[in-house]
Amino acid sequence: MSTMRKLRRFTVWTALKWVFAIAIALVAVFPIWWMLNVVFAQAGEPVSLNPRLWPTSFSAGIDKISTIFAQTGYLRAYGVSILYALLTIAGVLLVGSLAAFEFSLFEFPGRKILFGVVLLALMVPTAVTIIPTYVLVSRLGWLNTMEGLVVPGLASAFGLFMLVQFMRAIPKDMIEAARLDGAGHFQIYWHVVLPLCRNALVTLAILTFIQTWGNYMWPLIVGTKEELYTVGQVVGLFNSPLSHHTVDTVMTANLLAAVPPLIFFLIFQRQIVQGIAMSGSKG
Amino acid sequence: MAFLDISAVSKSFGSVSILRDVDLSIEQGEFVVFVGPSGCGKSTLLRMISGLEEISAGTISIEGEVMNEVEPADRGAAMVFQSYALYPHMTTFQNVSFGLRMAHKARDFIAARVNEAATILQLEKLLERKPGQLSGGQKQRVAIGRAIVREPRVFLFDEPLSNLDAELRVQMRAELTELHKRLGTTMIYVTHDQIEAMTLADKMVVMAGGLIQQAGPPLTLYDDPDNQFVAGFVGSPKMNFLPAQLASADAGSVRLTSLGQSAEISLPIGGVGGGARAVTLGVRPEHLTIGADGELDGRVTLVEELGAESFVHLTVSDGTAVIVRARRDAARTGSTVRLRIDPSRALLFERDGLRVRGSAGRQ
Repeated sequence: MSTMRKLRRFTVWTALKWVFAIAIALVAVFPIWWMLNVVFAQAGEPVSLNPRLWPTSFSAGIDKISTIFAQTGYLRAYGVSILYALLTIAGVLLVGSLAAFEFSLFEFPGRKILFGVVLLALMVPTAVTIIPTYVLVSRLGWLNTMEGLVVPGLASAFGLFMLVQFMRAIPKDMIEAARLDGAGHFQIYWHVVLPLCRNALVTLAILTFIQTWGNYMWPLIVGTKEELYTVGQVVGLFNSPLSHHTVDTVMTANLLAAVPPLIFFLIFQRQIVQGIAMSGSKG
Repeated sequence: MAFLDISAVSKSFGSVSILRDVDLSIEQGEFVVFVGPSGCGKSTLLRMISGLEEISAGTISIEGEVMNEVEPADRGAAMVFQSYALYPHMTTFQNVSFGLRMAHKARDFIAARVNEAATILQLEKLLERKPGQLSGGQKQRVAIGRAIVREPRVFLFDEPLSNLDAELRVQMRAELTELHKRLGTTMIYVTHDQIEAMTLADKMVVMAGGLIQQAGPPLTLYDDPDNQFVAGFVGSPKMNFLPAQLASADAGSVRLTSLGQSAEISLPIGGVGGGARAVTLGVRPEHLTIGADGELDGRVTLVEELGAESFVHLTVSDGTAVIVRARRDAARTGSTVRLRIDPSRALLFERDGLRVRGSAGRQ
């Protein structure tokens, strides 16, 4: 009798959890679903008086997508965004891991003060630094260049902080063993420390990708020429109040912008969840 | 000139002095064990030999060459760490060969060396495994393998067995002795476990408070310690120390009174000068006998039966705790017994801990 009751209580609780999870998933998924619904339908159909909740015309969607690719610089924007993301990831990992290696495993004069400065940088919001950064980039002659887009994002205080925390957990013995084994400073970094930080590096790469792909402000400021438009900026053009595009064209542009991160999420789902857990709530 | 010379070496971290004026000579092929309580500086001395710790003053030389400024990897010393310090992302083969790969040795050469070490240490079947898939004992072997392939001039072991369980420790101890015989390389071993030190060492170096208290063969330290610290540190159960009064001394013996309040005893130590004073008598548990007669009265507080023998814990009349190594069923808890001291084996210490040897030496 008591086991029965326990079982039933358990079932009700489980069902409640499921209901709750499904409700949250619905709220999260609906906008994407609605986007697909609008794109893969005859123009105006889903927003008519008699709206549909499911796609009705696959070919209409393909038509819209090909129109966008044919008539705008969307493909190039993809290229720019991907290059921007990849270069930033590579740079952040390299700069961050090298700096973290020194900060976490070696003593040098001024270490504490310098690390304090890094922590301070973590607390300053981007909005505060964006104008000085712009002035600097402009004086370097890097406006409308890939360097201008990428380089200011390489010194990631957050990435450095995360890697330092991770590398501090590497036993000193292991570094000393490598020294006795004849490994030089860089060899210790390359052969011992980097492989041990693999998880942290993957996490940082993922977080950097998410941040870079979604970064709207900096590309907007530094890349005013069309050749350097990122996906975010192109979508922004579609969304601007004076654009003459219809709702379904705008939705198509939005969908195209959302596809790469969606695929990315599907592939790296587990690492993303682990990464966000590892790095606290910051993402 | 000795193989490894430690000469007037000191180490301090800021104002804290860890080692003071340490002198030690180690011969080629010797198995030397540094032993002492934690904080005595033994690990620091080992790390200074390896080059991982800088030398504040003095010199360390190997085969006549001063090592103070030589890079750790170039000293010809290989170290086995307490934590093993294996690289977790590498297989056994990669771990063992890391040093050779860093030295850009040829692939065939590396394979041959690693296989040779693997045979010595019975690691052949584990070469493709990562440290996470190895037991404690196997990890320890891999760590030793990593040292062996470098063919060092001197092996350094920093408490390598303290993470192993008791049975495995005994087994690894035997394997280390075997390895030392086989390789004939100088080995320096740090431990806080005096039994480990006794069983492994050719030369045992007892350290305390940043100083070498005594160095020599283990049994010499056991039988003939220079001071009360060494006498108490070496041997298990510990040597018993009884406060006494030195009443008189002549050419062949000293007479002690007030032993356990009132007992008296003569020790065959000749030529002790300095007049009457308070001293400490040291007697090993096996040099005390429980019997019908004897110098001391003791009340039995605990009997530890070990099968072949028993450790009888007693309190003598002045309150000093004493342990006697006795045969089985030698005494019952709560009973009062007589204790006999073997005067020929008893040692005498000044109250500051220094051994009283007497000018005629120990008889």
